[in-house]
Amino acid sequence: QAKELRLGLITPNGHSWNKAALKLADQLKEETKGRLTMTVFHSGQLGNEAAMMQQLQTGALDMGFIQAAELGSRVPHIAAINAPYIVRSTPAVAKFVRHPAAVKLFDVLPAETGTIGLGWGITGMRAVFAVKDLNTLADIKGMKLRINPTPVYRDFYSSLGAAPTPIPTPQVFDAMSNGQVDGLEADLEFSWNQRFDKVSKSILQMNAVFMPMAAVVSGRVWQSLPAADKELITKAVKSTLDAQIDELAAGEPALIENFKGTSVPVRQVAVKDTEAVIAEFDKIWLPKAPVLAELRKVGATI
Amino acid sequence: MITFAAFTVIMLVGVPIGLCLCLAGFVYIMASGNPVLFQSYPLQLFGGVDSYGLIAIPLFILIGEIMNGGGITKRIVDMAMAFVGSLKGGLAYVNILANMFISSILGSATAQVAIMAQIMVPEMEKKGYDKTFAAGLTAYGGMLGPIIPPSVMFVVYSVLAQVSVSDMLIAGIIPGVILTVMFCVVIALMGYVYNYPRADYQTPRQRVATILRTSPTLLIPIVIVGSILGGLANATESAAVGAVAAAVVGKYWTKEFEWSQLPQMMLRSGIYSAIVLFLVAAAAVFSWVLIFGKVPQETAAWIQTVAKDPISFMLICNVILLVIGTVIDGVPGLIMTVPILLPVATEIYHIDPRHFGVVVVINLVLGLLSPPVGLCFFVAAAVTGAKPGKMFMVTLPFFFISCILLVLLSLYPYLSLALIK
Amino acid sequence: MSDQTISTAPAIGVRRVIMAASSGLLAFERLALMGLMYLLTALILVNVVTRYSHFPIYWIDESAVYSVVWLTFIGASAMTRLRLDFAVTMMTERLSARSQQIFKITATSTVIVFGVGLIVTCMLWMDPIGLAQAGFDAKKFAGQTFNFLYTERTQTLNWPTWVLYLTLPIFAVSITIHGIANLLEDLGLVTKVPPKGFQLSELDGVN
Ligand code: NA
Ligand code: NA
Repeated sequence: QAKELRLGLITPNGHSWNKAALKLADQLKEETKGRLTMTVFHSGQLGNEAAMMQQLQTGALDMGFIQAAELGSRVPHIAAINAPYIVRSTPAVAKFVRHPAAVKLFDVLPAETGTIGLGWGITGMRAVFAVKDLNTLADIKGMKLRINPTPVYRDFYSSLGAAPTPIPTPQVFDAMSNGQVDGLEADLEFSWNQRFDKVSKSILQMNAVFMPMAAVVSGRVWQSLPAADKELITKAVKSTLDAQIDELAAGEPALIENFKGTSVPVRQVAVKDTEAVIAEFDKIWLPKAPVLAELRKVGATI
Repeated sequence: MITFAAFTVIMLVGVPIGLCLCLAGFVYIMASGNPVLFQSYPLQLFGGVDSYGLIAIPLFILIGEIMNGGGITKRIVDMAMAFVGSLKGGLAYVNILANMFISSILGSATAQVAIMAQIMVPEMEKKGYDKTFAAGLTAYGGMLGPIIPPSVMFVVYSVLAQVSVSDMLIAGIIPGVILTVMFCVVIALMGYVYNYPRADYQTPRQRVATILRTSPTLLIPIVIVGSILGGLANATESAAVGAVAAAVVGKYWTKEFEWSQLPQMMLRSGIYSAIVLFLVAAAAVFSWVLIFGKVPQETAAWIQTVAKDPISFMLICNVILLVIGTVIDGVPGLIMTVPILLPVATEIYHIDPRHFGVVVVINLVLGLLSPPVGLCFFVAAAVTGAKPGKMFMVTLPFFFISCILLVLLSLYPYLSLALIK
Repeated sequence: MSDQTISTAPAIGVRRVIMAASSGLLAFERLALMGLMYLLTALILVNVVTRYSHFPIYWIDESAVYSVVWLTFIGASAMTRLRLDFAVTMMTERLSARSQQIFKITATSTVIVFGVGLIVTCMLWMDPIGLAQAGFDAKKFAGQTFNFLYTERTQTLNWPTWVLYLTLPIFAVSITIHGIANLLEDLGLVTKVPPKGFQLSELDGVN
């Protein structure tokens, strides 16, 4: 029978996740000749991710694009995907999140969060923007660094000797320009939109962590759907996320060119510098999320 | 539809607006046949105030409390007098200038009118001004409070619109200064027509002495702005730093502030901020059900049939907001209109959300000065005993000049955006 | 905007219990509001100092936000009792005294309707009965009900979120009690006296 689905996400209009959501809505409508429709609620109109999760659990909301940080704060098993140096480039991220090992992380979602994971969408590898000159990983030591406050990132940047400083997203630019923090870490797409290069002296491509998003469906809603619709929705989600992942990975070189076109130097972290950091990080996180060992193995083959 | 009907009826009965919004949320959920939403209701209420930007509100209100308790306001008026001198209509200029200065510390129009009316109106009456005019003028001076930073209304807007608090605060500077200049021009013209009295003559030496004596008040805005520019604090935190500065100035320079007064000041700041913050929470529930019911989408569709371009959209918004502002006060007005109008403004007409915020806030502030529910006039009336209706009539030129400013701001976005990086 | 009078006059049985509960709550709310304001100011100042000296404390922002959330709902409860709130009086103030009284009683009753409604939604959300049936095992409860409330923790403080959410059921109960107390006053069943310890001015606006 006819059904209207609601999908919520926190990114604003124009973000590549939003474009994917709108494409998904079009595709569902077209394939079912209007029997299944979908309304997209962007910019956290229905509340922040925690509020959206609660609405997914009650069944008030049908679908959500929820960041790994939110799911990871509930389930350490999922947080493993945020670990540093599983893969080392955005093209590798694009392959990795479609590998069965990454998709298999969703197995714990129904029992732990009441949602069903259908696939990952991505943002690119995160870089550090600093008000001083950064050449190597060691230069991060002693920096006041604004980070996404998810526990995995905090442990990673702490192990590099930085003092992780939470600053609310809308205030990050100001915090950099007036010196409340000495640096920030973010993905390149967001950083270019915010023009963080204008308040930075150098950019260090960490090639360490990325923030993927999971397309999840309410467990309650899923139970009530006929098998044919489940299959149809799963397929549509997969194909739109595939397109999002490919497009984002393909767009990264142009983005890096943008940054290289500014006067701010863009540098890379040397692979040999990272081994000690990985060991220290895994000492904390392997006991919490044993699946990390397998993810590293898979990542190494990509 | 039934949600709006329920909302309007209970509001007219005199139910506090925050509760009206909450109850309309209940009514919507019942009418929508989706009772599962009840389970998310409390969390939406919580989520509405679970926001870093809102921390600024209690702190801004606290600065005002400490400053007033420390007798700092009175010194600011003295300083403005020394600057203005013996012009025709001198005290009227003093009124506006002191208001502008105090606006740079206080965040609220009504608080400012209450404070300034007690000081300025008796002074102006003594010098031969009509009491109604003096009270009305003070009410217009109070308008600067929420326009010149800091401003509780801009903070609430920045949270609703998810834009940077400091951007919004900075956006108010140019409009605030233009408005001050416009008010001074009106005073000059009216002073000529009505032959306003001159202020007392002060020798240059007296002036310098007064300015030197009162200059420590400057410390408060200097500390606020300096802590931001110096990388010590962000816009929110600067309010806490400013509160400390106000306490220090009040304690060691004016010597009117006592630590024993602090608990009561904390209590009042707590309650007054809760009044605003609860409205924000209620608005979150209300806009959540509106969004679930796709009301913004439908409003957008309707407005698009009327307004063909950004400018006609802005002008329509001005009219709508002025009408709303006449019956509803600042923050609640913001909370009811922004969730509906902002998505239309940014997505359909590609208006900068910060530019839109400036226009919306000034529009609603002007509503505080228009009958029948012009809260600023009521406050000025309560302090001075003048009649609110008459106050509105004798200050009509100020109303018109404010409307002109609104049109200018609507047409020229750079007036709001020029100072933002 | 406010009458700022509160009744403590002797009344019989239930009435007396309600009035006493309301006064007790208000006294507690008064202290809590002061405490939260001090806490908020201190947290922000400590944050400024520690960040400036290169030792930022990770959980301060989150603590400050939750202090403001608690301040909101505790303050909203107190202001209901103090009858300090934005209301549209444009229509009612033109009516006869008797009609005004009727409207006032209606308006006060809606406070109680809201309070009770919020208690009900909090029960649906927090489901204490379901939790008890699951033997207070958060995981088991989540498995049975799809309600994961008791398994969640905050991001930087790492507190269980339900502890912070408790402000809502507390608010629901206290606003109901204050609503009933206000209604008893409006119906003339008890007499009003001014509240203790609040030096509020009708003129201190909040816009
Ligand atoms: Na101000
Ligand atoms: Na008004």
